[in-house]
Amino acid sequence: MEAYRQEIIVGAVVIYMVFCVITGLWAMRLTKNSSDFFIAGRGLGPIVVSLALFSSTLSGFGFVGGPGLVYSIGVSSFWMIVISSTGYALGFFLVAKRIRMIADVRNCISLPDVLAARYNSEAVRFLIAVTIVLGVMGYLATQILAMAVVMQAILSGTVMFADIGLVACVVISSTVLIFYCVTGGIIASVYTDVVQGAIMMIAGVLILLTAMSVFDGGMQEATSIILADDGEAMMPFGAAGIMASLGWFFVFGLGLAGQPHLVTKMMMNRSIADNRTILPMSLFGYVMAALLWVSIGVIMRAAVIDGVIEPLALPDDAASLFLSIFTNPLLAGIVFAGLFAAIMSTSDAFLNIGTAAIIHDIPKAIRGHAIKNELFWARVVTVILAIVAASFALYSHFQDATLVAILGAFGWATFAASIFPVLAIGLNWKGATALGAVAAIVSALLINFIIQLAGIVLPYGILGGLIAFIVSLVLFIGVSLVTKKPELDADMEAVLNI
Amino acid sequence: MGSKLIYVIFATVLLMAGILVAICLAEPVANGAGLAHPQFNGMRVGGDGAARLEHIGSLAFAFQALLLLLIVCLSALGVAEQRRSTELWAYMGGTLLFSLFIWWQMYSGHQAFLETGVTSYFMGFPVATAWQVYGTWLAAIPLIILYSVGFRKFIFTDEDEQKYQQLLESIAAKSE
Repeated sequence: MEAYRQEIIVGAVVIYMVFCVITGLWAMRLTKNSSDFFIAGRGLGPIVVSLALFSSTLSGFGFVGGPGLVYSIGVSSFWMIVISSTGYALGFFLVAKRIRMIADVRNCISLPDVLAARYNSEAVRFLIAVTIVLGVMGYLATQILAMAVVMQAILSGTVMFADIGLVACVVISSTVLIFYCVTGGIIASVYTDVVQGAIMMIAGVLILLTAMSVFDGGMQEATSIILADDGEAMMPFGAAGIMASLGWFFVFGLGLAGQPHLVTKMMMNRSIADNRTILPMSLFGYVMAALLWVSIGVIMRAAVIDGVIEPLALPDDAASLFLSIFTNPLLAGIVFAGLFAAIMSTSDAFLNIGTAAIIHDIPKAIRGHAIKNELFWARVVTVILAIVAASFALYSHFQDATLVAILGAFGWATFAASIFPVLAIGLNWKGATALGAVAAIVSALLINFIIQLAGIVLPYGILGGLIAFIVSLVLFIGVSLVTKKPELDADMEAVLNI
Repeated sequence: MGSKLIYVIFATVLLMAGILVAICLAEPVANGAGLAHPQFNGMRVGGDGAARLEHIGSLAFAFQALLLLLIVCLSALGVAEQRRSTELWAYMGGTLLFSLFIWWQMYSGHQAFLETGVTSYFMGFPVATAWQVYGTWLAAIPLIILYSVGFRKFIFTDEDEQKYQQLLESIAAKSE
């Protein structure tokens, strides 16, 4: 079997991609209007929503960047994932019920729609839509690039595709992504997410079992090797230190309820009562998949320190090298398919919300009404958005990484800082005002942008995103408290009372 | 407490902002955010753990304690005001104590390691790290139980569902 390692891995990835294409064709028959395209007609069952929710949370970053971070900074990066239980809990307490109710009452198909209804403000709609578009471009470009790099690494190991270029890999992987997103919209996206989520869970558990067998003394031997080399790396705050760790706890924990691609999924369930089962199921799936992040990172750092393997050229090589050195080909095939699943499940969610922002929310904010034939334009813009993001990715790789790096700054932390206060607190506090929301969004964008552009390094590893988040919270509540309490429409008043 | 909750949240966030400012102004240390590993490219080390907590350890501890309070307050904010009963607050108080206990075990376990240089292990990790890996995950379980098991009591009661249906019906009637 070892002799056919590359062929088995390529086979697993091809099977997965064929599945995505078939799902797109199937979902096309169910997609009849823009509501179906963007929020699946609010008719999804709890298992589908749970798997879609957690698989969209864990992107390619979780499968490639996560183990790389553990290799690089030790336990510090664990904080991004151990907070997931609190993050999901807060998301459901603060957002899940009311976002679903407002979507129903006002027939909303996007997050900016919901917030425009809540604050009765087109300015809030516009700012949130622009934030989403900027974030989507950065996220999509990096995800597409990651997908192409992994595909090139896999294919170049075979005789037939030994010389395949990165551009060809971007074209192949983006074509599959675009195909199922355009044909089936969010319905294809969530049903591929179901399989993607299942693959990720299986991969997480199998990798943990493999990792525990690398050293005779299991995980404890690996952690004691790291501890002997540098005590701090294996202690709770890792090499990056206490403030970086607590910053991640804050930004990833509270920030989950501010991620547009996740909270939009909370609008898609069939019944509000399903939320009581969606929460534990999502969390369970996430924990299973995240085992890969922890176990690969720890084992690879210990293996290098102990001299079992050569030092890595780049920390992000940790996952792929672990798979090629320590796993059998079948498991490597499953995990590589899981990696594509992780990247695609996040990419399709971003493609969907980015398209909604462009064809639905920005025109509505500027012109006061949506464009005609939204479904047709949704499909056209999905293609354009993916092509632009793929072009950004290639330009960044071959010419200049600055643009994507700047857009990349509009990642998790920016979404968290600009959207969390406005959405999560705003849906639960009638005193929140549109002016408070505008102040929060603008301050979050500006602080993140300035810190990124100016290359400001804060002492003790304090994250720029943490500063932006706290300032945004202070301004949102503070400005709302000093501005006139808004008169809510009767339906909004009723929703906020329930 | 109901309508005053937003003030508690605001005060907590302001205190956290103040602590962040104090940490930014504290005397910096070379390894505050880690150092490059002397031997392996791409790897970082923490170095002297006691030194990097010397000026900010207690501030960081307080920051996290306030964050745990904020999480509980925000969860309570997600429960409709009329359902924030004494029973709910008692439960939330217990949840806060549970998470503070885990945080204390993690922090003091780290301190003990810094003083002695030795540690025991629990399920593959040094004890302080095990509190982080397993304890932090578990700290939110009471909130998840409250949401899932107490859904019909605190989150979306039968009465809420009835009101919601009436709202939808009245909107549908108006649009006809």
